[in-house]
Amino acid sequence: MSVRCALLGLLAQRPRHGYELHAAFEALVGGAENWDVSPAQVYSTLARLKEAGLVREEGLEQEGGPEKVIHAITPAGRRELEAWFSTPVRAEHQRDEFFVKLMLCLATGEVDPMTVIYAQRASLYQELHAVTTQRARADPRSELAHILLLDQAAMHLEADLRWLDMVEARLDEVRRQPLPEPQPRPRGRPRRAR
Amino acid sequence: MSYYIRLALRYLWGRKLRTILTTLAIAFGTMLIFGMNGLVPAVEAAYRQQLMQAASQVDLTITGETRSSFPETALEVVRGTPGVAHASGSLVRPVVVPPADAPLLPDGSRLGTIVLSGIDPETAPQVRRFEVVSGRLLQPGDRNVLVVSESLARKASLEPGDRLRLPSATGVATFEIVGVIAGEPGAVSDEVYTPLPVAQALLNQPGRINTIEALVVPGSDARAVREAALARLGSGFKLGENQVGSELQAAVEMGEVAFNLFGVLTLAMGGFIIFNTFRTVVVERRRDIGMLRAVGASRRAVIGLILTESLLQGVVGTAAGLCGGYFLALGMGAIVGPIWSQALRLSLGGPVFKPATYVLAIGLGIGVTLVAGLWPAVSAGRVTPLEALRPAEGEASWKPARRRAAFGLALVVVAVLGLASGNLNLASLGAVLFLAGLVLVGPVLVRPIAGVFGRLLELVLAQEGRIAEGNLARQPGRAAITASAMTIGLAILVALGGMTTSLESGLFRYIDQSLGADYLLMPHSMVLGGGNVGAGPELAEAVRSVPGIAEVTTVRLAMGRIGDTDVQTIGIDPESYPRVAGLEFSAGEPEEAFAALAEGRALIANGIFSAQSRLQVGEELTLQTPEGPKTYRVAGIGMDFLNAKLATVYVSQENLARDLHETSDILLMADRAADADPAEVRAQLERIVAQYPAFSLLSGDEMREEYKQMYGMAMRLLHLLMVTLAIPSLIALMNTLGINVLERTREIGVLRAVGSTRRQVQRMIVGESLLLSALGTAFGLLGGLWLGYVLVGALNATGFKMSYFFPYSGIVLAVAVGLVFGVIAALLPARRAARLDLLAALRYE
Amino acid sequence: MAIVETKELTKVYGRGDAAVTALRKVDLRVEPGEFVAVMGPSGCGKSTLLHLVGGLDRPTSGRVALNGQDLSELSDDALTRLRRREIGFVFQFYNLIPVLKAAENVALPLVLDGVSPRKAQSQAQLWLERVGLSDRTDHRPDELSGGQQQRVAIARALASEPALILADEPTGNLDSRAGDEIATLLRRVVDEWKRTVLMVTHDPRIAAYADRIIFLKDGTVVDEARLVGGNDGAEKLVRQRMEDL
Ligand SMILES: Nc1ncnc2c1ncn2[C@@H]1O[C@H](COP(=O)(O)OP(=O)(O)OP(=O)(O)O)[C@@H](O)[C@H]1O
Ligand SMILES: [Mg+2]
Repeated sequence: MSVRCALLGLLAQRPRHGYELHAAFEALVGGAENWDVSPAQVYSTLARLKEAGLVREEGLEQEGGPEKVIHAITPAGRRELEAWFSTPVRAEHQRDEFFVKLMLCLATGEVDPMTVIYAQRASLYQELHAVTTQRARADPRSELAHILLLDQAAMHLEADLRWLDMVEARLDEVRRQPLPEPQPRPRGRPRRAR
Repeated sequence: MSYYIRLALRYLWGRKLRTILTTLAIAFGTMLIFGMNGLVPAVEAAYRQQLMQAASQVDLTITGETRSSFPETALEVVRGTPGVAHASGSLVRPVVVPPADAPLLPDGSRLGTIVLSGIDPETAPQVRRFEVVSGRLLQPGDRNVLVVSESLARKASLEPGDRLRLPSATGVATFEIVGVIAGEPGAVSDEVYTPLPVAQALLNQPGRINTIEALVVPGSDARAVREAALARLGSGFKLGENQVGSELQAAVEMGEVAFNLFGVLTLAMGGFIIFNTFRTVVVERRRDIGMLRAVGASRRAVIGLILTESLLQGVVGTAAGLCGGYFLALGMGAIVGPIWSQALRLSLGGPVFKPATYVLAIGLGIGVTLVAGLWPAVSAGRVTPLEALRPAEGEASWKPARRRAAFGLALVVVAVLGLASGNLNLASLGAVLFLAGLVLVGPVLVRPIAGVFGRLLELVLAQEGRIAEGNLARQPGRAAITASAMTIGLAILVALGGMTTSLESGLFRYIDQSLGADYLLMPHSMVLGGGNVGAGPELAEAVRSVPGIAEVTTVRLAMGRIGDTDVQTIGIDPESYPRVAGLEFSAGEPEEAFAALAEGRALIANGIFSAQSRLQVGEELTLQTPEGPKTYRVAGIGMDFLNAKLATVYVSQENLARDLHETSDILLMADRAADADPAEVRAQLERIVAQYPAFSLLSGDEMREEYKQMYGMAMRLLHLLMVTLAIPSLIALMNTLGINVLERTREIGVLRAVGSTRRQVQRMIVGESLLLSALGTAFGLLGGLWLGYVLVGALNATGFKMSYFFPYSGIVLAVAVGLVFGVIAALLPARRAARLDLLAALRYE
Repeated sequence: MAIVETKELTKVYGRGDAAVTALRKVDLRVEPGEFVAVMGPSGCGKSTLLHLVGGLDRPTSGRVALNGQDLSELSDDALTRLRRREIGFVFQFYNLIPVLKAAENVALPLVLDGVSPRKAQSQAQLWLERVGLSDRTDHRPDELSGGQQQRVAIARALASEPALILADEPTGNLDSRAGDEIATLLRRVVDEWKRTVLMVTHDPRIAAYADRIIFLKDGTVVDEARLVGGNDGAEKLVRQRMEDL
């Protein structure tokens, strides 16, 4: 799901071909070590997006190399993307998916990144509220294990919220910096060789 | 309300030491005022008791207008007035019983001054009721017998058959007591009665009386009769009694002014301490007050709380002050009493606390507390609830306000005017204003002065000195307030020091000048002439005939009146007087002046009198005498030591005898021939004086010794008071330093955290305290020196001529006290600062 | 009627070049029985908002109404009365009067309001019991832990039975455990004693106890999160964690 929306987002930034899409995704999450997505996975996702009418082929690129299909986002794709932006990410997925979402939001300029942050924050608070409520109801004499677990959850949520505050505070700086883009590969086919 | 009291008590209790010290300051001020004012009436009462005649129930009392005596013929005039039923003449004078012969009193002292009444045994009982308690009344033909009043008899354990020796113009006379009579209701004077001729001989006033008492025919208009009698007598007489003590009154009033000056300054000091303390309290409690406001205490409630606190201290302090004042008065009485009975032959009773004294002391003690607490209380009321939430930096209100400084300057100017006015009361008010102005101007001067002293301090304390200096320069207002406590204390110290030094040396110079003779034969109560019985010419003759005596001169005394002023009229011999003694002239040529006295009706006025009446040399004055008004020309202005305090004129003895009928000598001065043997001359003189117990023989040196001792005692007392005045300024300094530390708790915490040792923090605080006290000392010295100078000037303007003496020792003392206090005051806060829990200090916000 | 309502509330500190706009046209409504937390970065105006609502300070423009009563129309004395009857304050540094015992501190607002000392004392006792400090009534503040002092402060805030409790970082000086206790206590204030609480905090965990969180930034309200009860979310979360284990 999130890879799907991430690709949509990258395409919303500008039309790209499959290989470029993979490289951009990798750069966005900070390398394959963070979130390993294979090229095949990218292509199959693209195919599914095309099927759903969210992406269309826009033409071919022929720049000395083999032909590459250029993909672009459709209006339906944009709507899908907007919906994704406005839903918060569940806490346990937040680390990766929310970050991608925020970066894409910045990249595409589709939505005010603040709304993304606020939505995420409200959701986290709701979860924290639920946890604290739960915790308050638990009987410390018989349900200590449960309480400790709730504490762990609460602390994670707290950490997420604090991180969110930090992101909010430094958003302007992030905005001023260029988005992570794929580096020209040292390996692979050297273009000059042709 | 009880809740506020409880809260106030808790707060006070929470800072026990400071509460005690502040309360002490209040107690101290009240003590001085109460004690002093309790003593003054005691002094007055002593005079009155001894000297005032008992109020009598006669219808008509006539005395000489100048309080001098008049011929007995006046009695016939009164008797001849229609409506007068009986009339009796008497000669009433206070006399000093020679100490060697005086009966012992129960308190161990000897009987001093008594009032001697020469009465006509036949006619006196017609106008007054004499109730015999034991023995008998006077009878016609009685010689040296006395009837004494019951109060005196009881006091001195006298009874019929006892003997009493009284001074006389020819030496001493022995009297036998024949009766004791009941005093008139309310009369407290120690009176003795003797037949009129005896008294006239004794007092060297043959054929003269000074009081006529009469009863009118029942049913007639007493007032009309009085008027008629007065009209028939002509000028020179007045209704009413002799105000025998009025010249003494002047001396007492003089003393009262001095006391009051002292009291006012002390009070100002006390008020300042309270002000300072409560200012401290408000800063300290800013957060608490803000909190109270936040939870719903109204502005008025907060003001009420602070005022309650100050009131509590005021009440306790005042109560303590009243007790202290009582003992102070007792103690002072015990110290002063002997001096008095020695110098003035007056026995001082216990302190007298009139209702007015209570009202004054209580009103001032509590009033000053309230007034001084008011400003801090109002500023506490201004603390917003937000202060409770703000870090307690307390920086808010100490900015050096230029406007305040300008106001202070204006105050100083006004004060200078008051000081220069020549009026001692205005001058003392001016002194207070001057100090207040100095306190207000202070903040502007802190920075430059702190810079100077800071540099000195750096030499001693190095790094900490610089930090301390920075702290002061950063908050000049606060520093100035602290320093000003010191300033006021020291200024008062130095000013009083300057005054007493000047007074002391001035007095000694007078003594040298006017009592410079080799030998003095003087009455026991020299300072006040009223109670002395003079000697006839035989004494002077006897002295003159002693081989080895080169020159003798005598001094005589009568009371006269010029305009509205009663003046001591002193008769001197214009020829011999300047050779043996002398006057300190401030206008006119001494030689010309004495010559003028010899030539005709001319007088030399003393400083007090010339200042009061603004006399010019050459001016003509009218002296009221029993012989009618006489015109005298002012030949010069000058004075001697003994008469510096009273309005006095010097005339020739010839004129004194002619116009005021006074021929007895009250003071004899003699110079020895250069080649005479001192021991021999002295022995001779002593033999003569033995016959005149009213006189004692003193050599000029002894005399000076005696006075030095007397004044030394008084000065020591003054110095003691001055030192105690310094204590409150120590309290103030400690308070402000305490709060200084408190306000900078965090800063000190940080200093400690970054590696200052406890010792270094302590040194910093001590350094700051030293700087503050150096500041205060500098201000205090400057202010005090000037103030002292001006006060001496003010005294001069009132006619007591003395020049300003620079109080070197006072300055050394003040500097020492300043520095020592600086360190002492810092010790407690410094310990507190060093002991500060590091973490707590950092958390303190 | 809203218990707190602000209209275009603006506060400017200082003037000229040094002017700081601490609050900018803030519109806020707090309903009776709500527990509202105010969050935001340091210096965003949280405390200022609380002070204005509590009548501790006056706004530059705009207005504050408590129960429909416009605070700007009240004199200082009237505001003071309002503070002691309608509002209870809880501060970060407890701000107890150091010379008074716990019970006396709690009784203070009542005494200030003219309640008889005996009645004030028994009321104070009651509230100290409710906050769980019945055994500490005779202790001075410096004999109590921070958490206990804060509970005394809360008891004091509640003693005069005010409808609104204003708390500025009430847990700011406490560790997380004591902080939780205070937050739970404030929750009870709303749930059990039916008061309204407006609380400023930096701590997300503490803010999560509220019913609603208002986010302030640079003097304006930028966001608001309504936290609904319901513990199913938490249950699911816990289950998931269990499985992860
Ligand atoms: N008395 C004052 N004078 C001048 N400026 C002030 C004053 N009080 C607050 N400010 C300023 O107003 C702004 C808001 O302050 P406020 O205290 O409301 O912030 P806050 O959100 O409570 O911050 P924190 O979380 O640090 O307590 C800040 O920029 C502050 O500097
Ligand atoms: Mg704040």
